[in-house]
Amino acid sequence: MIKRIVIISSLLFLCAFTNALGAENIAIQGGNILTISGDVIEHGTILIKDGKIEALGRDVVIPSDTRTIDAKDKFVMPGRIDAQSRLYVIESELNESRAITPDLNILDALDPFIKEYQEVLAQGVTTIYVTPGSHSLLGGRGAVLKLNGSKTANKIVLKADVAIKGVIGISSNNQSSSLRRLEHYSSIREALIATQGYMQKKRKYEQELSEYKKKKAEQDKQKKDDEQEKGKKDDEQEKGKKEKPKRPAKPKRNPTYEILAKVLRKEIPLQIEAHRVDDILNALRLADEFDFTLILDKCTEGYMIADEIARRKVPVIVGPVSTSFVDMPKLEYRNHDMRNAAILSKEGVKLALGVSGRDGISSKFIALAAAMAVANDMDKDVALRAITLTPAEILGVADRIGSLEVGKDADIVILSGHPLDTFTQVEMVLIEGKTVYERKTTQ
Amino acid sequence: MKQKTLLIMMLSLSFLCHGLWAAGSPKSLAIRAGKIWTVTNGVITDGVIIIKNGKIDAVGKDPRIPRTVKTLEMPGKHVIPGLIDAHCHLGLSMDIFGEIEETVSAITPDMQILDAFNPLAEDVKKALRSGVTTVLLAPGYKNPIAGQTAIVKLYGVKTDDWLLKRNAGIKFSLGNEALMSDRRPTSRSGLMALIREELNKGKDYGENKLDPCGEILKRVVEGKLPVYLYCNTVDEIVAAIRIIDEYELNAMLVGTREGDEVANMIAERNIPVIYMPCLFLSKDKDLKRVGKIAGAGVKVAFASFAPRTNLSDLRTSAIIAAKYGFSPELALKSLTINTAEILGIAQRLGSIEKGKDADLVILNGDPLELTSRVGMVIINGNIVYQGEEK
Repeated sequence: MIKRIVIISSLLFLCAFTNALGAENIAIQGGNILTISGDVIEHGTILIKDGKIEALGRDVVIPSDTRTIDAKDKFVMPGRIDAQSRLYVIESELNESRAITPDLNILDALDPFIKEYQEVLAQGVTTIYVTPGSHSLLGGRGAVLKLNGSKTANKIVLKADVAIKGVIGISSNNQSSSLRRLEHYSSIREALIATQGYMQKKRKYEQELSEYKKKKAEQDKQKKDDEQEKGKKDDEQEKGKKEKPKRPAKPKRNPTYEILAKVLRKEIPLQIEAHRVDDILNALRLADEFDFTLILDKCTEGYMIADEIARRKVPVIVGPVSTSFVDMPKLEYRNHDMRNAAILSKEGVKLALGVSGRDGISSKFIALAAAMAVANDMDKDVALRAITLTPAEILGVADRIGSLEVGKDADIVILSGHPLDTFTQVEMVLIEGKTVYERKTTQ
Repeated sequence: MKQKTLLIMMLSLSFLCHGLWAAGSPKSLAIRAGKIWTVTNGVITDGVIIIKNGKIDAVGKDPRIPRTVKTLEMPGKHVIPGLIDAHCHLGLSMDIFGEIEETVSAITPDMQILDAFNPLAEDVKKALRSGVTTVLLAPGYKNPIAGQTAIVKLYGVKTDDWLLKRNAGIKFSLGNEALMSDRRPTSRSGLMALIREELNKGKDYGENKLDPCGEILKRVVEGKLPVYLYCNTVDEIVAAIRIIDEYELNAMLVGTREGDEVANMIAERNIPVIYMPCLFLSKDKDLKRVGKIAGAGVKVAFASFAPRTNLSDLRTSAIIAAKYGFSPELALKSLTINTAEILGIAQRLGSIEKGKDADLVILNGDPLELTSRVGMVIINGNIVYQGEEK
């Protein structure tokens, strides 16, 4: 009897365990698949294995042990991304009082216990990008997070150190003077110049250190040779003959410059929030001078200099699409135009859309924001790409998410209609093959 | 003598002709469109609207179009009445509280928001582009008795062109914004006491007194001037209803975020609700509230509170509400005819009917689809906005 219980319970445990691993094969059948990276596949099938997309197309062979999800007459698209989110971020942790703090990491300010993430998930958002706030000039490092429901901060991270968030020309308390924005520009510049000095010093130290090591090794060798030859006889002669090489002093480690050095080495992009034309131009000028990878953020007046941004091939995270999403429109939004995203994209700028909402849950409105951009002249396909594949590319996670392609994570949204239609319902959301949301059909 | 009479007759005839010609030709227009949302009489597929002298002269499947009238052919396009924003602060400065908040005194019923309105402001043009043709301008949120509202059309520079109502009612603010640390009121009870005090002054106001505030409040307590009570939480709403009952006010509620909790109280008294912009809200629970309020039988109008939200998101507000359970049939009404009825301008605006002002918006798709784009806006029969042809 006891034996039987043990067997059953261990079997149950095994089942639960394999389920948790996501080893089960899943096939989503019959839907209109918006792959985003390629053409729409009508009546297509997506095969999921081990949380990844194993195959997709019209003639996918489905293995026998596969669970199928019927998506007939439904639309299937990759999980949506909000590239300007505040979900999971503890409000009071958003901003630091000092101006130059690029070494801070947003991951240290996450609260994975916030329940409302489920409402965001229910609107088909599977991934968000969070950064420190706009109060510091160089505020810290942003991260891409998945809404997979884990309560451990580390487990929701898809990519850390995505970019360093900086700002130019953000007013505080609705007051902004041109002097202030010059100060922003020059402070960031000073920090980068200081980083160059730091890097130089470090290089010099490393050079000197290697020279010292070489010399020391030579000397040690000679010493040994001498000792072997002469034995221990001529101690006095030995002492007077050579000076001992001096070990160079190690420069003090500075976490600010360490992280900014990564920016100058193009290992991590600098994301600059700028609204006005002059601020955007200043950001572009900085990128020219220091040759780092720039991501423009917000870019409210970008439409006025769309050709300039396009020419430099700088990617942009545009948002808010409408000032209604922000709590109190600041002075920077004075020339806000809802056609901004459309004008930039038509000029050839690579752009992602962000909600930039008044709170974390506002990320649920990302499809709404895309629809608003379409109402203001943006191409429908470009708008859909701007909330899926393009942000994934800009944030450096396109190898994992952003489109429905073989080998990518099975982060999939099943919809009752076209994603930009008002009354379209999100039917089901999967993250890495696991169903994380399913609409109640009792209504 | 006979000659003189003849001359006068000829002169007057020529004047008459001239007058007719001037009024007739530029303002006569026919529009043939794929779908006409009359709002009060259903949807007409492939119908025609004839505009004459700035008014709608005929609507129907196939009314006779006079030969002299130019017809705009708009196959597949949707025509709706011009949208009405029931509460906003448009045409004022972007830094809104500079121009709409008179914070030295808490009681300013004599303040007219109209005095701060600039019909040429940039956001007026943006509003037109989104299909809003008429707005109620309101004072701010920091004064318990904040001042006089006005209703204007977003067209023209001369006051006569755009002014519909100089004083459309008095705005009261029962919100937290009205409580300040450095002047009365500093508490909720204090706020209500102050409002009662002022309304009592209105009751006692006599013929021979010279007090502009008292005179206005007298009209309020007599029910001749409507009041807009800004309130959001349940305690604020219930306090507002208490005041309405006590003084038998002709009142509307503005904001009313948690109105669903006391929807029956509001419905019993037939108090209309001007609901806050849905873009202020983000939790599912909050987004579902306005649908429940309307479901209880309360007449609802949407508002943008612009520039606190973008005025072009007035329609967005209705669309979000509809997505979260507000009846889709009601959604367009709550942007047009219901709003017009609540504001007392329904004899002229709010639907596509013979005799009403020719304020029309032409879209390239269903008005409840966010992706639909406004292609043309007509006010008083004049094309005031035309987008690029796509």
